[in-house]
Amino acid sequence: MSAIKLRKPKIKPPRKLGADTAIEETWKLFSEAVREIFNHRASNLSYEENYRYAYNLVLYKNGHVLYDGLRGLITENLDKLAKKDIVPAFPATGNADPVQQSQEGERLLNALRDVWEDHSQGMSRIRDLVKYMDKNYTVTAKVLPIWDAGVQLFLQRIIRSPAYNICSHIINCILTQIHIERDGYTITRSSMKGCVDILLQIVDIDNGLSVYKTDLEPRVLQESKAFFEAECERLLEVCDAPEYLRRAEAHLASEAARTQNYLSYDTHAPLQRIVEDYLLRAQFHTIMAMPSSGIDNMIDTDKIEDLARLYRLFKIVPTEMPVLKKALKNSIAARGKTVNDASGEGEGGGEDEEEPQEVQGKGKGKERARPAKAGREQSAAVASKWVQDVLDLQDLFDRVLKLAFGNEVELQTAINEAFESFINLNPKAPEFISIFMDENLKKGLKGKSDEEVEVLLDKTIGVFRFITEKDVFERYYKTHLAKRLLNGRSISDDAERGMLAKLKVECGFQFTQKLEGMFHDMKLSAETMAAYKESVTRPSIDISVQVLTSTFWPMTHGVTPCTFSAEMNQAITSFERYYLSRHSGRRLTWQAAMGSADVRATFKARKHDLNVSTYALVVLLLFENVDEGGFLTYDEIKLATSIEDVELRRTLQSLACAKFKVLKKHPPSREVAQTDSFSFNNDFTAPLQRIKIGTVASRAENDDQRKETMERVDEERKHQTDACIVRVMKDRKRMTHNDLINEATAQLAKRFQPNPAQIKKRIEALIEREYLDRGEDKKSYIYLA
Amino acid sequence: MAEENTADTASAWVRINSVDGFSYLVQRNVALGSGTLKGMLSTDSNFMEATNNTCSLQERGAVVEKAVEYLAYKAQYANAPQSVDIPDFTERIPPELALELLMAADFLEM
Repeated sequence: MSAIKLRKPKIKPPRKLGADTAIEETWKLFSEAVREIFNHRASNLSYEENYRYAYNLVLYKNGHVLYDGLRGLITENLDKLAKKDIVPAFPATGNADPVQQSQEGERLLNALRDVWEDHSQGMSRIRDLVKYMDKNYTVTAKVLPIWDAGVQLFLQRIIRSPAYNICSHIINCILTQIHIERDGYTITRSSMKGCVDILLQIVDIDNGLSVYKTDLEPRVLQESKAFFEAECERLLEVCDAPEYLRRAEAHLASEAARTQNYLSYDTHAPLQRIVEDYLLRAQFHTIMAMPSSGIDNMIDTDKIEDLARLYRLFKIVPTEMPVLKKALKNSIAARGKTVNDASGEGEGGGEDEEEPQEVQGKGKGKERARPAKAGREQSAAVASKWVQDVLDLQDLFDRVLKLAFGNEVELQTAINEAFESFINLNPKAPEFISIFMDENLKKGLKGKSDEEVEVLLDKTIGVFRFITEKDVFERYYKTHLAKRLLNGRSISDDAERGMLAKLKVECGFQFTQKLEGMFHDMKLSAETMAAYKESVTRPSIDISVQVLTSTFWPMTHGVTPCTFSAEMNQAITSFERYYLSRHSGRRLTWQAAMGSADVRATFKARKHDLNVSTYALVVLLLFENVDEGGFLTYDEIKLATSIEDVELRRTLQSLACAKFKVLKKHPPSREVAQTDSFSFNNDFTAPLQRIKIGTVASRAENDDQRKETMERVDEERKHQTDACIVRVMKDRKRMTHNDLINEATAQLAKRFQPNPAQIKKRIEALIEREYLDRGEDKKSYIYLA
Repeated sequence: MAEENTADTASAWVRINSVDGFSYLVQRNVALGSGTLKGMLSTDSNFMEATNNTCSLQERGAVVEKAVEYLAYKAQYANAPQSVDIPDFTERIPPELALELLMAADFLEM
């Protein structure tokens, strides 16, 4: 400033204020203006004039006079307002009527709001007037700008008024209002919001926290805890599970609305957390286990909406998801157990039916002989029912998962695990599934469209996927497939191949290789037969041969002794000659047990075409040379045919004791004993020209058969384990024991559930056979090329 | 900036009086360029100046005129794009007015 003076001497000096008296005078004028402002009479004041007073006070180093004076005036005003407006609005104590309580509360809240508005209006004017002070004095003097000072004074003189207990009245009032609203009454939310907003704005300079944060929020949360603790108990007493969940959801929503409408958004999370803690987290167990309305009941009664709500609530507290998973698993496990038990009982019945046959097979032959068919069909029915039950169960849970649980992956996994475990609890699961597929591929698919077939097969594959012992399934499937193919029982080639393709997708090329080989054999055989028939003129017997590659097919391939008749042998030799001439180096073994024959028999009444097994044909042909009414003893037949006891017995039973009694047994009974003798039943009559006399082994296996199957499966597993270990070691050359076990387990798990001890045994066997060697460290193995 | 004979009292215009009897009608948005004038004219606070749409300053006419001129200059170029060439205002300030104008500017917060 002085520089300018020096440079331009003719410039007028700035006007100066007078001495100290002028300061006092100025302040007096200004303080009167401030009082006027607090009395709402600002429009009579000149801004310029008062601004100039404040400006001058600051400019002439009397900022402190202005600042301190203002603080005094503000305090004075606030004290007056507290006494005049707020204290009379304190609610009368002991009023029980919620509506009246709410109105009183509202009065206090409104009073506070009015006072705050009054104060802020005045303060905003003062702030405008002393703008210059805020800019130049407060910064250097390190004091609060006047507005903030005003807020602090409001906090000290109103909220934490030393004279009146305003704060606790306000807080209690707000809590009461919330409680009243929670009880279902209406309150004026705008008053609440107005008041809460003030408490949010008033920040204590000492700790930087708003009054809302320090005084109100903790109390709100505390009250809420108490409320929801009580509410939870009340709800558990009066509500069933769906209703409880409905209420809980409503509570969550109303608390959310509360924080949105008049509490701070910061309170949202802790408040929701309280509701979650008390109403949900701690109670999920109880709710889901509610006997007549818990999750089981909801699933039973198809309450998709309630389940969806349950899921929504679980989603809110994701840490509790395991509870839902566990409940689902339990539910499935219980249902699965019922399904398993039902099949167990059903099968118990089935086995009773089978027993005579089996006992007879062992040669004890004392019990009544019953046609094998009933037991067989029943166990097939049990198997089908079991699979159907599982499919239904799966449909049910799929539906629940899709409609109620939003296809949540985590729950899907849980459901799958549960299915897997209960399905594998049934040791017959692989067999049942195979039987189910067999039934469907044999007759079930008749009259169904391609899409339906597809859907059914897909579902079955879904169940199949859960099986850990896939190799067992493969064995059964192979057996069933073999029977379907050889007996021409398969309805649709497309469906068969479709199934095969699906299995291939599920389990890989290796799994279906042999199955495909079977199909291939069938095709080749058809071609061979066509070519053979062209090459041979006038065959003595119309022969049809299926050449099967022995490794692909599941039958036992020992030579089954059977003495064929001369004609048959002729046909056989003819074919063998033809076949071997085209494929040198191959060996044909004739499986009499697999074949069937059409034979025309002349009875007294009429001629019949009988479709019988090859064994039965051989037996029947014996009687061709026996005089009418002549007998053949069991031993004679056995000698002539050299069929094994088991098979012969079964064949004779089906010829003499079943529905169509082509032979007469002496003495007549249902069992076949070694002492029995047989004669041709010349009086045989039947309504049909063509009769099928079947000897089909029972298809659901009895215990011995199952044991045998399992033994075969175990043998197969050993080979697979060996192959797997060698494959792994060939690749890695050197591996530690644990790594090898893990790797082998992982690879084998696709086929069955390998057990480490078994793998270890195989490793030892491989070391013995010098495929592997132990490493020097005794922990690892080395592959020997 | 307008002389006193322009008798337009629409609220888009405000009157600024000098201590020695000059009166200037200024567009409201131009006047708001000064913090102090803004405070005077604030309808929220509603002081006498806001009610009457008139601000009386304790400065002589010459200073008020130059201040108002500056406010108009500020309003014109405040939001001008960079491409516009902004003339230098200091050239328009007569040296003998400089100090008084500086003090007025401080008071008027502009």
